[in-house]
Amino acid sequence: MEISYEFLIFIRDFAIFFAIYLIVALSLNLEYGYTGIPNFGKVLAVAGGAFTVGAFPGRIIAWLFKVKPDLDYIRDNTIIVTEVNKILAGDPLLSISIFFLTLIVAGAIGAILGLISCYPAIRLREDYLAITLLAMGEAIQVIGYNYRPIVKGNIGVLVPDPFGWAGEYRYAAVALFILGISLAVFLYLERLVRSPLGRMLRAIRDNEEVAKSLGKDVTKIRMKTIIIAAVIGAVAGALDAFKAGGVISTSYHRVSWTFWPWVIVILGGAGNNIGVVVGTFIFATLRRVIDYYKGYLGPFIPFNVVWLDSLLLGITLIIIQMYRPEGIIKEKPTPTIGYKRIKEILMARKSSAKSKDTKSSQKIS
Amino acid sequence: MQEMLRVENLTKRFGGLIALDEISLDVKKGIITMLIGPNGSGKTTLINCVTGFYNPDKGKVTFDGKIITNWPPHRIYELGLVRTFQIPQPFQKLTVLENLLTAYRGHPGEGFLKAPFRRSWMKEEEKATEMAFRFLEILDLDHMWDHPASNLSGGQMKLVEAGRAIMSGAKMILMDEPAAGLYPKLAQELFYYLTEMKNKLGVTFLIVEHRLELILDYIDHVYAMARGRIVSEGEPDKVLDDPIVIESYLGG
Repeated sequence: MEISYEFLIFIRDFAIFFAIYLIVALSLNLEYGYTGIPNFGKVLAVAGGAFTVGAFPGRIIAWLFKVKPDLDYIRDNTIIVTEVNKILAGDPLLSISIFFLTLIVAGAIGAILGLISCYPAIRLREDYLAITLLAMGEAIQVIGYNYRPIVKGNIGVLVPDPFGWAGEYRYAAVALFILGISLAVFLYLERLVRSPLGRMLRAIRDNEEVAKSLGKDVTKIRMKTIIIAAVIGAVAGALDAFKAGGVISTSYHRVSWTFWPWVIVILGGAGNNIGVVVGTFIFATLRRVIDYYKGYLGPFIPFNVVWLDSLLLGITLIIIQMYRPEGIIKEKPTPTIGYKRIKEILMARKSSAKSKDTKSSQKIS
Repeated sequence: MQEMLRVENLTKRFGGLIALDEISLDVKKGIITMLIGPNGSGKTTLINCVTGFYNPDKGKVTFDGKIITNWPPHRIYELGLVRTFQIPQPFQKLTVLENLLTAYRGHPGEGFLKAPFRRSWMKEEEKATEMAFRFLEILDLDHMWDHPASNLSGGQMKLVEAGRAIMSGAKMILMDEPAAGLYPKLAQELFYYLTEMKNKLGVTFLIVEHRLELILDYIDHVYAMARGRIVSEGEPDKVLDDPIVIESYLGG
């Protein structure tokens, strides 16, 4: 029994980790895989969402219920959030409302950040856009670190727990909600890319100039794509902060939230959402297994275990680039109305053409 | 006859090189006009300036009664002026069918709000697919419809290029060497079809072409360019016999 319980905890933690990274990687895939936008500042949206959770819901509840109004939210964060959590634990409805409200606000913040980040360089060539986005991703961490009213800089803040009412099943509830949201994001993005819009995005990626000549307002479409991806990324950041129960600016770093999502997309297959699911699964498995067996692995390797996952991911990336540069699952055509319907249209055309032929030959005879 | 496209005193410089030198020309509505001239005479630069890919240094472009100088390409497309490219530029990873569908005008499914709701664009998409197959049959590409465009031969890519322009439902199409790389019979068929479009749909064409023997029967008017200027214009036979044109081709 003891072992199976531990295994369940492993599965639960794995599911949460997998789901959050899946959301971020899918949003990056929309930008890079489908539209060809090299977003090297994915961390911007994720951090924006997480910082929103640090700054927004606690203040709202404290203000609504007048929790120690004489104290400062940032300075006396632990005291206030502890009180807020007591209120939330007794009121599941309020908890869930504040959870979804925060996600919406985080999404809005993400949208604004997405717009700001791409506005200066959206008209420039890809490499300049990439540099600008990278810089924007760095900027938010510097701001979070130095401007204390957001998440108390390098000390961090506690965030209200909207799942306190679940008691010992708190983490199970978190896992379910996050998995549900990641599934919703997956389904939404699959619908988006299997539409004429998805086709247009891939067309822009393949050849920007021709897309312009066929009436596509490439600048505007790219901007909208970045904004949608930023909204999704911010939601992932918010979920990560809720899961952790606290936000500290240093944990939203380019390595974890820009480079790793890039590794996932390249590993799984850019321009293929199923590939990204596979990529996230491999990545999450590697990370969690190494994390879980850290203690056992330590004596067998001649360096600190914390470097092991970076090393393995680096090697994986090199191998993928050498032998399967398009990723584990390649991009496939995604017909909007399905192969079956297209074939029906094709057959209908052929049979009508035949009947016309026989008619005209009859006329001649 | 009415003018579809009017270019007045168009000038484009690249550093010290004057690619277009005060060019003026008129393309009349509902006919096929041809633009000839030796390599480097500025034909493609002219197309780029007219369709918004380059900003001219001086001059005015009027299309269908509207001044479109310095407009971005996508707005020029919206007015009904579409171009093709000399070096075929298919959307590599899209299928042949998808390449044509991308050109479909005013597709509701390309909006960010409507795209997730299949029902809002399904009918239009089926209509577009039907239309695309009609053009693919004409271009002899219907058996290739589900191949990625990168698998096509050079000539087939050229046909996709033409197919996209036809699919766009434009009032006027600028074609940059549509027959280069096509075997003669297919090139004839393409021009025959363009003539059909001209006659039945009233589409205006401006075609840059070198393979005169193939196209001569289909064209109504010719402009000849050399060194960034129009050197001759008029009936096809007259222009081709013009000593200035012959001299410019021979490098005089």
